[in-house]
Amino acid sequence: MPPEYSGRLRRAPVQAHHFEALGTNCSLFAIGLSRSRLLEAEFWLRRLGARLTRFSPDSELSRFNASPGGWRDVSPELESLLRESLRAFETSAGLVNVAVLRSMEAVGYTRPLSEGRPVATEPRACPLQALPEVLAVRPGAARLEPGAGIDLGGIAKGWMADRLRVSLGPNALANLGGDLSAGGAGPAGAGWPVGIAGATVPLREQGAATSSVRRRRWGENHHLIDPRTGLPARTGLEEVSVVAANGVEAEIVAKAALLVGPELAPAYCAAHALAWWLSPRQ
Amino acid sequence: MRIVILKAGATLLTVAATALSALYVSAHLKNPAAPLQPTVLNVSRDASVSAPGGTLTLGPSVQPTTAHPVTSTYAS
Repeated sequence: MPPEYSGRLRRAPVQAHHFEALGTNCSLFAIGLSRSRLLEAEFWLRRLGARLTRFSPDSELSRFNASPGGWRDVSPELESLLRESLRAFETSAGLVNVAVLRSMEAVGYTRPLSEGRPVATEPRACPLQALPEVLAVRPGAARLEPGAGIDLGGIAKGWMADRLRVSLGPNALANLGGDLSAGGAGPAGAGWPVGIAGATVPLREQGAATSSVRRRRWGENHHLIDPRTGLPARTGLEEVSVVAANGVEAEIVAKAALLVGPELAPAYCAAHALAWWLSPRQ
Repeated sequence: MRIVILKAGATLLTVAATALSALYVSAHLKNPAAPLQPTVLNVSRDASVSAPGGTLTLGPSVQPTTAHPVTSTYAS
């Protein structure tokens, strides 16, 4: 059944589907689509998520991480994500670097949080190498330098939200754990009403994402690594939400804005985002 | 003689096209209403709202609505 929500304009019936995947809550919304089509989308997401997780030794990403030093065949999806990661590194001036796996492991984040808190550690500063120095991609194959490891993290969620939204038709919204991608006019013709920091904004052919260090914390550590130090980021900002041209772009801008800190983030967001929420350390 | 006329005609045509293009570009320089201008040029048109815990800024292409949100972005 379509979900109930208020609105003064005439609404088109919304088909909604909520489920847990990728270690988070996911929601799919579409106009004029059957429930079975949304279930198919969920299965696609689960299959792809199983191939891209770093927590399973059998995933495609883990096998790629475990075989550095030479060219390895990769699926079209992983190739596309690795190319997107290289683009994210370039557009964020190196602040968004998916070669963060070894630093994640060094701070104790070696298993899903649902399986228990990471073991607190005292990692030492070790700046990450530039992504193009450790990762190369060519059609159908990729190469990782020894010692490097990839964690696709939020980029994968934003990328998958964009793919899902397109696959669900011209009027749909995908929300994968806070990474959103919206297309079409939404249920009332003005876009999909989405909450961001207590306000509601209509998204239409746009995406939104939140980067935060308030979740996935243990002791003094958290999951967001600053590539300039290789340590959990401490920049004066604790949470950034962004509306941008699509889901993956919003993810990149939100993470980069949090990492540049409270002084530069407003100008950075003004140049790269359509709306933004900056929340400093409390 | 015919070749000279053709060369002169081509030269004249090129000069005329260049001059007209320059005039057109000069007359349409930096149109502030152009829809594709970078967002950063419109910083002054952004609306910032301080809320408990931070500041929300909406650019000119994002307008708040009173509709109930179907979902939201959040930290996960």
